[in-house]
Amino acid sequence: MTLRVYIISRILLTIPMILILLTMVFVIIRVLPGDPVLLHFEKTEHPEAIEEMRQKLGLDKPIWAQYFDYLFGLLRGDLGKSMHDFSPIAEQIFSAFPATLELAIYSTIIAVSIGIFLGVEASKSYNKPKDHTIRIFGIVTYAIPIFFLGMLLQIIFAVNLRWLPVGGRTYPTMEPKGLKMSLSQLPEGFTIHLLLSCMAGLMISILCFAALKLKGKKITRKILGILISIFFIIWILWAWVGWYFISKGELHIATGLYTIDSLLEGNLYKFAEAIRYLILPSLTLGLVLSGVFIRLTRSNMLETIRLDFVTAAKARGLKETTVIYGYALKNAFLPILTMMGLQFAALLGGAILTETTFSWPGLGRYIVDRINFRDYTAIQGAIVFFGILVSIVSLVTDLLYAYLDPRIRL
Amino acid sequence: MRGTRAISKIAIVGIVIVIIVVAAVVGYFLMQPAKKESVLIMGTTDTVESCLDPARAYDYFGWEIIQALGSGLVEYRPGATGAAEDIVPALATSWSVSQDGLVWTFNLRQGVKFDDGTEFNATHVKYTFDRGIGIADPEGPFVGIGYGDIIENVTVVSKYVVKFYLKIPFSAFLSLLACQASYIVDPKYAPLNQVVEYKAGDARGSHPMGLGPYKLTKWTRTAGRDEEMVLEANPNYWNATGGYPKTQKIIIKFYADSASLALAIDAGEIDIAFRQLSAADINNLKTKTHLKVWQGTGAFIQYLVLQEKRPPFNNPIIRQAVAAAINRTAIVNTVFLGQVQKLYSIIPVGMFGHTDVFLTLGDPNYTLTRQLLAPLGYNETNKLTFKLWYETSGHYPQSPQLAQMLKASLEASGVISVELEGVEWTQYRQERIRETMDAYILGWYPDYIDPDDYIYPFLHSSGGSWLHHNYANPKMDQLIEWARGNTTASVREQLYEQIQELMAEDCPIIPIYQGSAWAVTKSNVKGVYLDITQSWRHWLVYKE
Repeated sequence: MTLRVYIISRILLTIPMILILLTMVFVIIRVLPGDPVLLHFEKTEHPEAIEEMRQKLGLDKPIWAQYFDYLFGLLRGDLGKSMHDFSPIAEQIFSAFPATLELAIYSTIIAVSIGIFLGVEASKSYNKPKDHTIRIFGIVTYAIPIFFLGMLLQIIFAVNLRWLPVGGRTYPTMEPKGLKMSLSQLPEGFTIHLLLSCMAGLMISILCFAALKLKGKKITRKILGILISIFFIIWILWAWVGWYFISKGELHIATGLYTIDSLLEGNLYKFAEAIRYLILPSLTLGLVLSGVFIRLTRSNMLETIRLDFVTAAKARGLKETTVIYGYALKNAFLPILTMMGLQFAALLGGAILTETTFSWPGLGRYIVDRINFRDYTAIQGAIVFFGILVSIVSLVTDLLYAYLDPRIRL
Repeated sequence: MRGTRAISKIAIVGIVIVIIVVAAVVGYFLMQPAKKESVLIMGTTDTVESCLDPARAYDYFGWEIIQALGSGLVEYRPGATGAAEDIVPALATSWSVSQDGLVWTFNLRQGVKFDDGTEFNATHVKYTFDRGIGIADPEGPFVGIGYGDIIENVTVVSKYVVKFYLKIPFSAFLSLLACQASYIVDPKYAPLNQVVEYKAGDARGSHPMGLGPYKLTKWTRTAGRDEEMVLEANPNYWNATGGYPKTQKIIIKFYADSASLALAIDAGEIDIAFRQLSAADINNLKTKTHLKVWQGTGAFIQYLVLQEKRPPFNNPIIRQAVAAAINRTAIVNTVFLGQVQKLYSIIPVGMFGHTDVFLTLGDPNYTLTRQLLAPLGYNETNKLTFKLWYETSGHYPQSPQLAQMLKASLEASGVISVELEGVEWTQYRQERIRETMDAYILGWYPDYIDPDDYIYPFLHSSGGSWLHHNYANPKMDQLIEWARGNTTASVREQLYEQIQELMAEDCPIIPIYQGSAWAVTKSNVKGVYLDITQSWRHWLVYKE
């Protein structure tokens, strides 16, 4: 099977998967006791008003008609309107998603770096006190309930030490707006933004050159070709996007990720605030997830370290760090990568407890809210969204896997 | 060779780190906003449930914000009890009522302007009520309270005089006008046939008010849940010359639950935490010296409803026996840690007309329970058995514990056996409509602050039909209608006394407890009034 056939079949397989998922959710939430219609009436309810609301929500139709209505809407890319507040579901999901994504990215970074570092350390001192301590740490963090760890950190760092905030995404009135400028008039932060982006570019190029130099590799013609084509594509995109905004007379780029938007805005104060608000939730989630990575890294490393090529590398007199991180870890990395993909997908949907503990306005909280309101369309929409997201993430993981390990493509 | 490489690597990393740190530090100080102006930051776990249009908004927090953004013809003075003399002028300076109680005339305050500069006059009053009754949003208070059943029409007499013609004499009319559903809207922002809903990025366009102490300058929601609100003083407020509002800017932050709200006030992140702190969190915050805990009379009540359609509760004696076996002291102390008060009438304590009628049935009086049940054949071996329903979704505070405690106190009589059944809120409402529940616990927040709002929706045969308890007593209906139609305070007080006595006899509903209003603030916050109106008066609160 070639890679292309593999990708196409994977993408095609997601369609029945999402269909099955959707059908199950559709049936389950309707089987659950509770009626979304009644929740629209705070106190007293009149029978005519109830009937009117039922019609408005489309719940007066037979269930199969509702099902096909929803499916056809979905085919047109329409997720429907909320049964609670009648606003479009797609809009609501996209407004909540960046918060969850940002939390997921940072906690995965924390979980993976803690996990790999401690896992490797543990495998290096196999069966010694250090190994046992790390393993116990891994089990404890894995077993600890998220809300408990979250509240513990809140009490220590927010209430007692007062270093970090208790919850929320940023200080009130401090939401970054992203890069926003009218093209006739440059904003105040523009010079700083320019300086910053220059500095960022400088740093990246320094790092690139350093990496190239350290690798001691020569730039081949093939790599040069790839680089030039990538730059060309980016340049075309840039020009196209630029033209789009110039024609609108205004430039506005906002990702919804506060750490990125504040940099785009060129406001480091907002950036620092966003980071301050991110530390506790991402640390909580990262710590809890790190347990899995510690154990996975440790066991894979233990297997790899015993292999001949590691012994050979050691025999060649290479430094231990180079052998472990440069040779052994690279080979032990595949299962970790899979786990990363799976965990990241789970994080996108499953940060519910963290989001509640830290009042983080993301998708997890959205779903909990909507289940309480029996907001059928919102729950279905969120599930479809998650289904697509999870399949994309696992597809990307599989592709990376296939790229890193050619045996998979067989 | 390897040595020099390692050094250059370290050097590069070092330089990069130094650059980042310097840039961050310089940037942080460059971009730090100027010294923050004097603001109050409020924290809450509430959220606006539908919108900020009085034609639809029917939730506590929606009304709290409407009160900050708008004004009514009349309002309650701080510390009110719901009596007629507590109602003070707001947009109307004086009023009178005709002999038959059907025509109310209001003289309006002159020279008042909306926040956009439009001058306020009688046409706006007419527009507001015509619009609310005309839209007749099934979710909204105009239908819920039944404005259309009370008001015949609103007539503009002159620029500053407006007349309300009523369909029925309605003694609580001033209270109705003082509630947030009756706040005046700005026609420029309030289309006649359409409810104003949240518009992302357009705080002014998201509400139709404009006569209140504050302007809404920012309102962000993600996924249908509030994230941040900013209120700024309205220079056109009719009482601006009186020095209100006392705080120029109020920021409202939204927390997911009581625990995170309590941590936030403890950590000093917010100046005020108002709704909903759990009993345990409040007890904990009481021990902090840098905080002040404010307790006020609450208007929230919880009660037990009995199904009278079928045995056993079709017999008033059995209902009385159950009422006599409720140990309110135990409930208040164990379930709510002493933070609510015992309630012996459907009209809450602190409200005009309240009498402790259920106290005569005991608290608890198990001898009375046994005495009442013995002739009916119920005793230690043949116990009175029924199912007690409660909701489990946290719609009301500590529901499962309350149900447990009720069961324990009823069974302590020795002749009653209770089976508990907890269901989720959505299903709970369905079961209520299907009349499947023999006994169930429910709660009530008032719409307008008047005893009528605690009597008519519960004890009147048509007003109380939403409870599906099938209670109908013609004598009770007659008394309630008299009390609704009479505007003399002393006569009403007498009628309410009779109504409550009759209620204790019939026992269709057994009051359990009355909640208190709680707010926790930093110790330098002043001007908090928590009275039975349940209003948070933003414009009186300030920081010293």
